[in-house]
Order: sequence, then structure tokens, then C-alpha cells
Amino acid sequence: MVARIHHIGSKVAEYGLTLVAALTVNFALPHLAPGDPLRYVIGQAVADLSGAERTQLLATYGLDQPLHVQYVDYLFGIARGDLGTSVMFGQPVASVLIDHLPSTLLLVGLTLVISTLAGTLLGAWSAWNEGTGTDGALLVALVAANSTPAFWVGMVFVSVFAFHLGWFPSYGISAINEPDGIIQMLISRCIHLVLPLATLTLARVGGIYLVARGSVLTTTGADFIRFERAKGLSERTILFRHVLPNSLLPIYTRFTLQLGTLVGGAVVVETVFSYPGLGLLIYDAALARDYPLLQGAFLVLTITVIGANVLADLTYPFLDPRTGPGHRERGVQ
Amino acid sequence: MADQNLTRRKALRTGAIGLVGLTGLAGCTGAANDLGFGGSEGGSLRIATNSDPSSPLNLYVSSGSSFDWLKDLVYDRLLAPSPYVEDPMPGLATETTQVDDTTWTATIRSEATWHDGEPFTVDDVVFTYRYFRDAEPNRYTHHVSDAPHIETIEAVDDETVRFSCAYPAPTLADITFADLPVLPKHVWEDVDDPYTYAEYPVGTGPYELVKYESGERLRFTANEEYFGGEPLVGEVVVPIIKDHSTIFTALETGEIDTANVAIPPETVDRFEQADSTEVVQTDWLSLVEIRTNYEREPFDQHDFRGAVSDAIDRENITETVTLGMARPGIEGYPHPESPWTAPDLSTPYEPDRARSTFDELGFTDDDGDGVRETSDGEPLSFTLKVASNQPTWIRASEMVASNLADVGIDVEVRTLDPGSIGSLFDSRDFDMYVSSISPHGVADPDQFVMSHRSGYLWRKDIPYPEWDSLYEEWRETTTVEDRKEVLFEMQRLFNSQPTSLVLWYPEPRWGFNPEAHDAWAESPGFGIHHKWSLLPADERGTAVTRSFD
Repeated sequence: MVARIHHIGSKVAEYGLTLVAALTVNFALPHLAPGDPLRYVIGQAVADLSGAERTQLLATYGLDQPLHVQYVDYLFGIARGDLGTSVMFGQPVASVLIDHLPSTLLLVGLTLVISTLAGTLLGAWSAWNEGTGTDGALLVALVAANSTPAFWVGMVFVSVFAFHLGWFPSYGISAINEPDGIIQMLISRCIHLVLPLATLTLARVGGIYLVARGSVLTTTGADFIRFERAKGLSERTILFRHVLPNSLLPIYTRFTLQLGTLVGGAVVVETVFSYPGLGLLIYDAALARDYPLLQGAFLVLTITVIGANVLADLTYPFLDPRTGPGHRERGVQ
Repeated sequence: MADQNLTRRKALRTGAIGLVGLTGLAGCTGAANDLGFGGSEGGSLRIATNSDPSSPLNLYVSSGSSFDWLKDLVYDRLLAPSPYVEDPMPGLATETTQVDDTTWTATIRSEATWHDGEPFTVDDVVFTYRYFRDAEPNRYTHHVSDAPHIETIEAVDDETVRFSCAYPAPTLADITFADLPVLPKHVWEDVDDPYTYAEYPVGTGPYELVKYESGERLRFTANEEYFGGEPLVGEVVVPIIKDHSTIFTALETGEIDTANVAIPPETVDRFEQADSTEVVQTDWLSLVEIRTNYEREPFDQHDFRGAVSDAIDRENITETVTLGMARPGIEGYPHPESPWTAPDLSTPYEPDRARSTFDELGFTDDDGDGVRETSDGEPLSFTLKVASNQPTWIRASEMVASNLADVGIDVEVRTLDPGSIGSLFDSRDFDMYVSSISPHGVADPDQFVMSHRSGYLWRKDIPYPEWDSLYEEWRETTTVEDRKEVLFEMQRLFNSQPTSLVLWYPEPRWGFNPEAHDAWAESPGFGIHHKWSLLPADERGTAVTRSFD
């Protein structure tokens, strides 16, 4: 018990320090990039500002304060849940981020689930049939998918499925005039999601497949599997009851790492399909040098990545008790 | 083996189920119109844009002139359509009168009403012009605070507003009245911070913005009581599509009816031959330019800049990189089609004259390496920065570098992300960079003068005796003709020693589905996408120069 408390305490301190360091970097990074956010506030008319007008605008956005003052304000603001006002939108950063979050969570979350399930099953199947034509074909196909740029896949999908076949819309998240009826509306929304989801899934499934295949291959060669075979268990039982559960740790690691990228969105896919998510928002904010929005978005990203790591740390012992603090303690003794 | 067959069979079955599911979903899309993404949609005209205004058209947030066409759907100006035409027509003012050299009056249109039903009054005009002059600065401020400078704005009676300027303002009506949108006093007088104001706009214009979805679309409905005639289209939807290739795929698939984005030169033929689209060409009153850092040696020497301009073969560059879809920039700055531009401006390709000028300035190649040196022996080596997302500009930059190498100037082309390019104006960390400028910059004569005071073309705190003397003369002129004459002199001076080297004037092609709307017309500086294309032909007056219906 003491070991567990000590373990959790040290993890909290570790992640707390990481968070503070990340916050500091988040604050500093946008300021290191060249650029003047006033240009985005009033466009080319920034050139027409008198000195007094410029000073007035800088004060409005707190950009006239020394860096350390801006930093302290930034930390206090975060503590209050105030991430500042977006220069680009003229709205609270938190509200802008919340507006764009659901569409990204939907797209990237579904991608993560589908690509993990598909990649794991295909990887396990491939490994179980190692050396066969099926294994070779899957390996080539998924390595190729893994190596193909997502923007290119997206453009091909748009060309084939939107332009030539007309099956799916080429852009957007919803119809301009949504149909009446909840079912029709849901179908319409699903149809808008198909191409970006397929593009992103195809881009990510290869990575999971390779990890799963490698992990299953390693487990398959273990002595206990030979023992299970000797017991006369069926191949299916061996694969699903014994091999796959013992191969999950690297797949789970990969899953949690990708969980950290969940809110970062998928800039390229969101751009190709004009999908209004956080990835596209961050890209626009970087071009516009919208410091408050960039800082807010990076903060959310940071917390998600740290959160994903915490989740992995806390849940590993359930998958493999050898990684738990008590086990390690006993191992040391 | 049996298990493997079983597995393969299962896999095939799973695949078949997936395929059926996908086909079923696609089958639903057979009724694409029902699901809202195919064909024309219930009377909505869909005009795609690639720029998100980032607000429900708040004039302070969506301030760039690239959003003027959207703001003009909602708001009106005293005169219409813009400062880019020779003779603006009545807008919210039915008549404007120059009382003396510095004083004007405007008689307002009493039958106009705001979208919320409140009557439009002289108080709205007085409030707007004072607000733009005295409140938080925006892109309209200089039109009332500097060039020109309106000292007093007051209501004379229920229909007349008087404007008194600090110095003669013969073009106040043609420029300022034709540029500033008029705001409702009853709404804006209660706005504490205009930069964070997020309510939907209340205007007098032909359309009311009823929905703004960030990153997705804007939706406008027609104002049937519009004083300029009932709009031809009941609803206008503006989808925001950031990726250019997706925009034109959507145009081809019928998901949009037109786009406020010029068709890429290499695909114009395809759209011209398509049954579902028509293509028209307009002037754009914009230009692609190389901006020079006149605060840095040797670009601070007027003759040096003139020689660099002489060394650029604009005709060859334009023909090569724009596939003939632009005019070479040999007619100088500002745009030659603006009624406020001198007709005799010229920036020809004169490499021999460039060499002579460099020799006279003392920049000679003494060590024989092909690159000229300064008197200190430093080689004339510069960087030309260009945005990485503009392949046409990058190719043009390489050709400019080649032209300058021919006259002994070493230029390294350096690509940067668009955000960094956008920041160069303020950081001043450049020798030259490629940029473009909108009609507001190159067709508005007051902006040309202002750009020499603000830093865009020159800064008023850097001595420039020839220009300063013309500027004083410009301020004293009392008639449009006299002001134009001085303005033309300013333009001739500028083009002999330009801080902005024009490369070409784009001649965009616009694609549209005539089944959805076929009453498109050209308004200078706006292409075909503006409120006049959506109003009855007999109400368009001088706002349009050509109709394509």
C-alpha cells in the first residue's frame, strides 16, 4: 500500500513538473516566431495605423506588457480557466476551442477505434498465417498504406468517390440544408464523415497492424503456446484466448500514444475535406500568429498527451501485473 | 489448413458485409439531394469562399478587404459601389454636394430601414463617421482621420449631414463616401468592445446574415424590402472550403454553384468545356508585386530601385508563369484599370539602362565574378523571400533572380511559410519579398497617398523631398481634376523609383453554374461576386461595368 501511494505521489510530481515545463514552453513558443498579430486584427490596414492607434490596440490585447508580465497573466488566467481572447475570432479562446472540439473528437476518436481494432485483428491474422500469401499480401498492402501520404489518399478518394461516382460529398461536416427527420439528418452527417474517416483510418491502420503482427509473432513462439497446442486446444482458442491477450501491451501502448494526439486533429485531412476541426484551427492560428489561440490549443494538446500517459501508467498493471508498483517493489527485494 | 480456410472464408464474408454496407450507404447517397449535398438546394445559391471571416462579419474582426463582398451584402455605403469606379451612384445618400473646398453635405435616403425594422436616420451617419474616426481604429479610420481628415460631422436637419474637413477634400464623396459602410447607431452605441462583439450584424443591405458557423458556412436571407430592389435570390449560402482543389471539385460535382476564388489557369479549359459550368473573365484590380525594403541599403537609393525595376522582364515572366491569364506589370503601380491611375505609366524591360544606372551609382564588378560590388567591396547579394504555398510566385521569383543576375545582382530565392511572409512587413527582416495587394490598396487613390505615410510604400518620417512636396501640393488642390493631376505626378515619380515592383495584374476566370444563377455582372474590384449580381438589372446603375447573363 505504501509502495502504491509512493508510486502515485512520484507520478503526480513527475507529471506536475512536466505540465509546468510544457506550459512555459507553450507560452514562449509563439513569441519566438516572427509576426505581428495586429496584422490579423485589421489586415493590411495595420500599415495605416498611427503610433497612438497601434499603442492602443496593443494595450487592448495586452501585447504591450513585458514578457514576464504576460507570462504571469497567462498562468493566472489558466488557473481561472481564462485562456484569453482569440485575436483571429475576437472571442474567448476556450469558447473557440470548444466549438471545434466535437468534430475533431468524432473524427479522430472513430479513427482511433476503427484503426486499432482493424489493425490488431489484421495483424494477428497476418502473424497467425505467417509466410502464407495472405500474410504477404496484407503486409505489402498495409505497409504501402502506412507509407502513403494522407493528403494524397484524400485527394484520390475525393476524385473517385465524390467526383466520378458521386457517392459521397467532397467537403464539409454537414449538408448546407440538412434534411428533415433525425434519421435522415444522421445519415447525412455519417455520409459526410465517410471519406475523411476512411482517409485517416487508412493512414493509421498500417502502424497498428505492424505492431500487432510483431507482437503476436513474438507471443506465438513462446513456450506456453506450444504447451497449449500440446493440450489439444483449437487454433482459434489459442489465438483469441492465449496469444492475443498476451500480445496486447505494445498495441495498448501505441493506442494510448495515439490517444494523446486525439484533440490535435488531423491537419491535412481536415484541410483536404474542409473539416472544421482543431487541427485546421491550429494551422490557421499559426498562420495568423494568433498567440492566445495557439497557447490555448497547445495547452489542451499538452494536457491530453500528459493525460494519455497518466492513463497508460495507471492501467498497465491491469494488462500486465508485472508493471505494477507492488510487483516492482517485490522484485527489488 | 482447415482452420486457415475457415479464416479466409470468414474474412471474405466480413469483407462482403463491409462492401454491402458501404454500397448501402452509398445507395442512400443516390438520393444525394435528399441528404443535402448534391445539385441545387431549394433555391439557395451556394458561393464558396476559401477565407473564414472568423466572426459574423464584425467589421473589426472580419476587417480585411477580402471580406468586403460579404459585408456589402449586409451593409450599404453612402455612395455605391466603391471608390474603384469613375462615378459612384447614390447609395444611402441620394445626393452629395460640395459646399466649399472643405465642406460637403449628404442627403440621406429616408425610405431605408435597418434589418431589425428601425428607420435609417442622419444620426446613424453621424454616429458611424465619428465612430470610425474616434473609436477603436480599423481599416476605415484613415479615410476620416488622415486622408482626408474630417474635423466635424453633424446633422443639419432630418435628412442632411454636413462634413467639414481640415484641408480641401474634393474627392470626399467619390472615395470616402463610397468606401465606409454605415452602421446602426442604436446597435453600435452600446458596444463596449468592438473587437469582441459577436452579435449578428444589423444593416440596411439586400441580405441579412442569419447564421455563421465557424469553419463551415455563412447563411444570408434576402431583405425583400431592400431600397435597391428585391434580391433575385432568396437565400445565399457561403460554404467555407479552405483547400483550393476541393473547391473546384465541389464546383464540378455540383455541391456549390460558384466560388469566390479564381479558377487555376491549368484547369480553365476543363471548366470551359464542362456542360454544367460557364467561365467568365474580369479585371481584378489587384496585382502581384515584389516589395523592396526601402529602409535598407542600397534600396534606400531611389535610382537603385529604378534600375532593379528596369532589369525585370515582366512580359516573359507573366507569359511563362501565369499561362497568359494575367497582364504583365509594365503599366506600373497602382492598377492601370483604376480610374484614378495615370494612363501613361510605364515600367518597361530596360536591362541596358539598368546596367548604366548601376555603373553610375558606383556598383561595378571589379573582381570579375559576375556580381557587382559596393564601394566597400561588398557584393550586391540579396534575398527574395516568397511564400511556400504559392508555386507560381516561386517560379516568378526564380525568373526575377535570373533577370537580376544578368545585370550583376546576386539574388537568392528563399521560401518561407505564409505566416512568416505575412510578418515581414512589420519585422522589416527582408531585402525583397513577393506579395499581392487588393483593390483597396491599388484602386483607391487616397490609399495610395496613405500608403506613403503609413509605411506600406514609404514612411512619412523618412525624408523624401520630391514626394513631400507633391503631398503638400495634393493637400492644397480643391477640384477633382487638380487632385488627379497631382496624383498622377505622384504615380509617375513612384514608378521611376518604385518601392513596389509590379510583376503582373491577375485577370481571373470565375466559374459558375448558370442553372443556379445566371445574372452575374462585373463590378470593378469585386469580380462577379457582389450584391449587384444578386439585384435586378435595372437597379445596378453604374455599379457594374458588364453583365454576363
